[in-house]
Amino acid sequence: MAFISSGYDPENPMKDRITDIGPRNFEEFYPPVIKDNKGKWLYHEILQSGVLVHVSETGDEVYTVRAGGARLMSVSLVREICDIADKHCGGYVRWTTRNNVEFMVDSKDKVQPLLDDLQSRKFPGGSYKFPVGGTGAGITNIVHTQGWIHCHTPATDASGPVKAVMDEVFEDFRNMRLPAHLRISLACCLNMCGAVHCSDIAILGYHRKPPMIDHEYLDKMCEVPLAIASCPTAAIKPKKVEIGGKTVNSVEVNNSRCMYCGNCYTMCPCLPLQDKEGDGIVLMVGGKVSNRISAPKFSKVAVAFIPNEPPRWPQTAKTIKKIVEAYSADANKYERLGDWAERIGWERFFEKTGLEFTHHLIDDFRDPAYYTWRQTTQFKF
Amino acid sequence: MAKHETPLLDQLESGPWPSFVSDMKQEAESRAKNVNNVEFQIPKDVIEDLMGVLELSYKDGTTHWKHGGIVGVFGYGGGVIGRYCDQPESFPGVAHFHTLRVNQPSGHFYSTEYLRQLCDLWEFRGSGLTNMHGSTGDIIFLGTTTPQLEEIFYEMTHKLDQDLGGSGSNLRTPSDCIGQARCEYACYDTQDLCTHLTQEYQDELHRPAFPYKFKFKFDGCPNCCVASIARADMSFIGTWKDDIRIDQDAVKGYVNGEFKPNGGSHSGRDWGPFDIQKEVIDLCPTKCMRYENGKLEINNRECTRCMHCINVMPRALRPGKQTGCSILVGAKAPILDGAQMSSLLLPFVEVNKENDYQEVKDVIESIWDWWMEEGKNRERLGELMKRQGFQKLLEVTGVDPIPQHVSEPRHNPYIFWKEEEVPGGWERDINEFRKHHKR
Amino acid sequence: MALEYEESKQKIIEALQKKSKSKSKFYFSDLAKILDAKPREAKKIVTQMVQEGILEFWSSGSTSMYGLKGTGKQAGAEHEDG
Repeated sequence: MAFISSGYDPENPMKDRITDIGPRNFEEFYPPVIKDNKGKWLYHEILQSGVLVHVSETGDEVYTVRAGGARLMSVSLVREICDIADKHCGGYVRWTTRNNVEFMVDSKDKVQPLLDDLQSRKFPGGSYKFPVGGTGAGITNIVHTQGWIHCHTPATDASGPVKAVMDEVFEDFRNMRLPAHLRISLACCLNMCGAVHCSDIAILGYHRKPPMIDHEYLDKMCEVPLAIASCPTAAIKPKKVEIGGKTVNSVEVNNSRCMYCGNCYTMCPCLPLQDKEGDGIVLMVGGKVSNRISAPKFSKVAVAFIPNEPPRWPQTAKTIKKIVEAYSADANKYERLGDWAERIGWERFFEKTGLEFTHHLIDDFRDPAYYTWRQTTQFKF
Repeated sequence: MAKHETPLLDQLESGPWPSFVSDMKQEAESRAKNVNNVEFQIPKDVIEDLMGVLELSYKDGTTHWKHGGIVGVFGYGGGVIGRYCDQPESFPGVAHFHTLRVNQPSGHFYSTEYLRQLCDLWEFRGSGLTNMHGSTGDIIFLGTTTPQLEEIFYEMTHKLDQDLGGSGSNLRTPSDCIGQARCEYACYDTQDLCTHLTQEYQDELHRPAFPYKFKFKFDGCPNCCVASIARADMSFIGTWKDDIRIDQDAVKGYVNGEFKPNGGSHSGRDWGPFDIQKEVIDLCPTKCMRYENGKLEINNRECTRCMHCINVMPRALRPGKQTGCSILVGAKAPILDGAQMSSLLLPFVEVNKENDYQEVKDVIESIWDWWMEEGKNRERLGELMKRQGFQKLLEVTGVDPIPQHVSEPRHNPYIFWKEEEVPGGWERDINEFRKHHKR
Repeated sequence: MALEYEESKQKIIEALQKKSKSKSKFYFSDLAKILDAKPREAKKIVTQMVQEGILEFWSSGSTSMYGLKGTGKQAGAEHEDG
């Protein structure tokens, strides 16, 4: 493995340095049918699950085939996508905001060969490489964060639970039988670097134990003032500790103030908080970002805790399936999950989904809590 | 024979959904075979070790990564996230495993030529694993060593004409919906505005001088496919001022069952024949529509542009022609004091390419000036708005208060009057007062 | 009024060195406060100091900080000290 220089000179980093050039311009990457018809589209139709046609005022049509994919993707798979796009789509392809791949062709006769090609490609383990679907009143791809594959504060994995849940609801990825579309998202800790707080169903990793303190090494590896400043609830204080007859500088954590965010661990590796029994999953439901019919709304906690169950997170997957089925059976056409829950009342939501209501679901975190209690005699027995 | 046994991960190969485990195995195999004789610049068995450490996490239920804050490329404060494995002896291939954020082209459109260049670079100098795409929208290069960071940046900027994205207390990589490129609802050119502002604010994107992260997101219409209202400190959401365009013949087409409602999005179930009264008129949140004698009427003055009727009958209804965007500000995820949606600041702004979007930039810069001076460390714009009040936001942006700014007026009379608003001011003569009021 | 670079640089170096016993990483606003300058003016100085290799960034991923290059305990903890 010989080191090969790119031309960069470490002794002189500013030499020939190019900075601040931003992304490549999108116009380079439009397929011709998009370039020619941008801003001229008249209407669209979903011809079958995963296949859309957009019709332009010029008479042009673009057919889009949408395929699900894992967000974690190898260059081999990206190259395979390129091969498909070269073969069918004139060398262009795009991704949606939800990790789906979109292959576009400019006439209807090119659709079936593309579909056949995509459906025929499978991994040796048996899963589809490019399942077609994710349109209309169904469940599309789950947007998510890194999890155990790359993050230092996750309370669960991301790719694994996503795979397990998508397997569970796969038919709803390929079908459009739900009352409205249903968006599932996953963030692997409460910092939500993938903001999941407005999803129909949010899978959220959650720690339940405050950090451990590695007193012996803390002052050697961390700067105490930075660890203290990193805590959003001011739960960390400096403390002198006896270790093996020596007094060392360290910190103490007020456990009852800790919200398990892991920010202190980011600042100081001597404050790890991950824990097999402590960590798991919170399910939140009923959020949306669209302004359609009702205003955008936040997701609400419906299940306070489900343990991590690698490799396939069966309780998480089954619970989500249960929520989807209850919603599918009872909601009106065009009604989002949150709108349904509000119409029937949350007491009925728990009845119909069979989820248990526990004290954890009553808000007690700061000011917004009061506004979620019931200030009316209107409720259902 | 795999370097590490992965019996738990192997169970994620079955089932119909694309298996990331199978994909990782295929990449590991490709590196092992190396048919193109790539001179890998990081360990050849990096993916085996990554799977090994992931398997360990599946066994013990905890992560094995540590954060690193120092690594980056010279002169930039963002774009690289440092990662170190906490079991480097067992998994030396991923001892260093840093992420690069690569600023995606707006709209996530690609030519295969460009994608292959990215793949070649990343196979050569990194793990060959990506995220397409990360939560904020960047292309993510997942895992390389410290010495490779500058090399990758050099090749990217010199050969691919491509820059890194944002992280830390920066402007984060802006992202947009597909917009006018392929959507009839888009009320402005999201790709152009997104790219223009990304280029305009490169310094803000690479060199952190903000109190915390700052996000722009661009949605072409109120359907908000890129979730700007929930996720961006400044949400640019397409809208229109004039009347919804109606094609009455097409309305009849829907009523007669010629066209599938909602673009065919409900075809997986038999919902019965389309009923315009029940499915459109009655669901209109402002009840500003009626269908009588085969004619659809909309009282546009009362319409709040929720998009429902247009979504249900895209062949018959289109947004008006006088289009622009609403600017809403201050969204954030729940940490710390709870989640916030963006709040409406400007109901309608012209999105004008001709003058380089000056009107939009003026708003952005007045908000940044305020937040950079007044924002506490790690305080998002939405939290500053809560702390100093919406009035302050109006003041710094020079926007006049209008009823559209609130969902309802305040519930308390505790108005902090300004002295100049009260006739005579606050300075009074106590002696004069005492002439008429005994102690 | 534009800040004088050399003078500002010394101010920052001195202030950071004085505090180096307890901590080595500072928010941007701390640097602006040392210079008693508006953020945009302070940024010009700080950027130049980064370019000259005097200051370096530290990022938590979500937040960024600045420090004198090579100082502090993070470098050792992150094995980036040699």
